Amino acid sequence: MTCTLGEVKNRADFIVYWGGNPAECHPRHFTKYTLMQKSKFLPRGRKDRTMILVDIRETKSGGAADIFLQIRPGKDFEVLTILRAILKGQHVNSSIVAETGLTLEQMTDFIDRAKKARFGCMFFGMGLSMTRGKHMNSAALLTLAAELNAFTKFVAMPMRGHGNVTGADVIMRWQTGFPFGITFNRGYPRYNPGEFSTVDVLVRGDTDAALILGADPGATMPQPAIDHLARIPTIVLDPKVTHTSRLARVHITTSVAGISAPGTAYRMDEIPLPLKPALKSPYPTDEEVVRRINEAVARKPHWMPADGPMTIMQH
Amino acid sequence: MIRITGGKIFDPANGINGQVRDLCIDGGKFVSSVIGGRTIDAAGMIIFPGGVDVHTHVAGGSINFARAMTPEDHRRTTAFIRTQSRRSGLGGMAPTTFATGYLYAGMGWTTVNEAAVPVLSARHTHEEMRDIPILDKTSCVLMANNEIFLDLLEAGEFERAKDVIAWHVWAAKAYGVKAVNPGGVAAWKWGKDAKQLTDPIEGYNSITPGTIIGRLAQIIDELGLPHPMHLHCNNLGAPGNVWTTLETMKLLEGRRAHIAHLQYHAYGGDDWDTMRSASAEVAEYFNTHTNMTTDAGAVLFGDTVTITADGPWQHLLYKLTGRKWGNLDVENETGCGIVPYTYRPSNLVNSIQWAVGLELLLLINDPWRIFLSTDHPNGACFWRYPEIIQLLMSYDFRKDCMTKLSPIARERITLPDIDREYTLYEIATITSAGPARALGLTQKGSLGIGADADVVIYEEEKDIAKMFSHPRYVLKGGEVVIEDGDIRATPEGREFIVKPSFDPEIESFLKPKFEDVYTMSFENYPVEMERLEHADIRECINGQAPSPPRTAEKEPDRADEGVEF
Ligand SMILES: [Zn+2]
Repeated sequence: MTCTLGEVKNRADFIVYWGGNPAECHPRHFTKYTLMQKSKFLPRGRKDRTMILVDIRETKSGGAADIFLQIRPGKDFEVLTILRAILKGQHVNSSIVAETGLTLEQMTDFIDRAKKARFGCMFFGMGLSMTRGKHMNSAALLTLAAELNAFTKFVAMPMRGHGNVTGADVIMRWQTGFPFGITFNRGYPRYNPGEFSTVDVLVRGDTDAALILGADPGATMPQPAIDHLARIPTIVLDPKVTHTSRLARVHITTSVAGISAPGTAYRMDEIPLPLKPALKSPYPTDEEVVRRINEAVARKPHWMPADGPMTIMQH
Repeated sequence: MIRITGGKIFDPANGINGQVRDLCIDGGKFVSSVIGGRTIDAAGMIIFPGGVDVHTHVAGGSINFARAMTPEDHRRTTAFIRTQSRRSGLGGMAPTTFATGYLYAGMGWTTVNEAAVPVLSARHTHEEMRDIPILDKTSCVLMANNEIFLDLLEAGEFERAKDVIAWHVWAAKAYGVKAVNPGGVAAWKWGKDAKQLTDPIEGYNSITPGTIIGRLAQIIDELGLPHPMHLHCNNLGAPGNVWTTLETMKLLEGRRAHIAHLQYHAYGGDDWDTMRSASAEVAEYFNTHTNMTTDAGAVLFGDTVTITADGPWQHLLYKLTGRKWGNLDVENETGCGIVPYTYRPSNLVNSIQWAVGLELLLLINDPWRIFLSTDHPNGACFWRYPEIIQLLMSYDFRKDCMTKLSPIARERITLPDIDREYTLYEIATITSAGPARALGLTQKGSLGIGADADVVIYEEEKDIAKMFSHPRYVLKGGEVVIEDGDIRATPEGREFIVKPSFDPEIESFLKPKFEDVYTMSFENYPVEMERLEHADIRECINGQAPSPPRTAEKEPDRADEGVEF
């Protein structure tokens, strides 16, 4: 159950941010989409909306919230499960409630407000999806949103990271069926996030070379992964000098997408936006560099089979 | 240059029923003769024009969402291995883009119509369609719940509404217009639905689903789009919805329309317990009203994932099954939901759905007006079409399948009483010639001189499903793409679009509306021509009302005895 940001802007009178800090990570989110905008359906803008922030610590986003629910670290799944139980009118054990850092009153109030909303939207951030329980947490939140639809219109949407992460995600999905954590080592796409994600592959030292676009793993990944990147031939395409470009064997300076290179960026709600360059750049675009690498590779003898079985059945 | 010799030709567009003729191909089209080039010996084989799918979901935000929703499915699915000429990919319920092209072409289908494109994600849809190799494509943009359009209808501004539709078709680089649950999807944005044609629509005073349907059909006829309004009727999937469907058809008298996935709209009864097939009532009306075409939206037993722009129906499915539910509303245009689903013969509702799809195909007597579809992936995945062909061509096979149904289910359907068996000529009509004509694609679905050389060559054999699953050769635009079960070439496809005329002033009207309700700048909204893969702008039928679909002439006598199926 997701929707586009335009619908949140036009219709959402009840907004929850769960495990995200939009005031700092997505600075335009409040003003452009979720809180401040007036619309045909919400003529008074901010006054017509209620915003609840759920997090383990106070952040700058707290100042914008009507209600702040501070939960104990690692208790997202429990809170979500209790909320679902309250929604279904089931009895909730008070000792479980006590562990979450919230009171039963707070959680009942959350559900009452959610049910009374005309259009509710929950945004969930890295704080929810990357902590203990990972996809269990997101699944519980999505289920809660689905169940709230028995009472009112309710949607949920992940808050993605920086850059065009969503775009990469969308394209990998249509070409391979999976968003990330993919290997092609058997000639077709296979998915296993804990095994084939970039960080896992690097930490295990399973790669002979790395080509890095639009990311700076040297700044964020654990040291063993960074050490491996420094060991192998690493090629970085980036407009700027980054942590990764400093340790790379080759750094190709490219033009900046959206400023001097055209292209498409996918917004976090998967709506594609065309990037129209305002400036000319002396540097090639990422696309051009990759195309030329591909052409150079194609001139080498083929390592791939010319023919062979068209398909196989996986087991 | 290619010459195909000795094959038995089934070419309904040209009235050829099994005669042995040679086909000559040059420059991607059929020509009267060629000198030199390759010769394909098709002696004893059966030749069809390439398949045309009038209603499928293969590209865009919703099917891509379905791919992500069903990763567990990918582990027990067909995998395409990368070779020098072929990209890797996965089959399954929502195949990846490259696999979609290989699977359709591998079965002999060469043209598809992506039936539901929200304007806002049109750019995404076109980017995916570029990654579907071999196939030519058209797409239908969703308009019936567009708030700017509905506001204009509410205000009685018909001419301006027409300009808004025309502008959107061009901006989305679409070929046709799809209407999904008119009025109901707009209401669903508030968690409501609009089920009957005279129901008021939440948020509006004067317009009803009936107003929207009638006005939109009129606009599309007046704009002269080659494909009529592509309509997903209100009240999809609900017991007793036959009355909504019949009312809708009556409302459309005098207008062209294509009614999508009719199976989901032909149920009697009052609730899930009393649900029964109402295909006989629908077919009876449809048979006597030649202004309409339809596609079956047939259901096969087994796993699939349902994905539609009809949020209310998806929500109902979720309540019925309690399974994973995804809902993707696109601002200002439509909604869309996704649920993995298994159709089971032990389930009464599923049994009726299975029967209704086949009944409609068998009771509607004009193969030029009903086409093979499963509303992929909703009723079944497209790569299961050969199973449906077998069901249509063999009464005995249908009887075998019906033994799996409960006695109660058998009382609620009419399938056991229908002994019609499709001929090869009729199969070629419902899979190719008919849908091509309904789409207004004059160069498709035909083996005549000047038509695109899209050809399927089958080795004749008794196992119908096997024969239709594994063509010996498939040619697309005169190029051999499939031979002996292997992909031989993966040419890029084309995209057909139309440019209906509109008053350019409409842009200054639309721009402030965008500033008001959209979150994308007006200038960023239209899809640029260079985003499309080999765009081909087709003519609108200007200045005259487009003619209704051609109806069946009597089937010409089959030229040979053929295999007894
Ligand atoms: Zn459909």
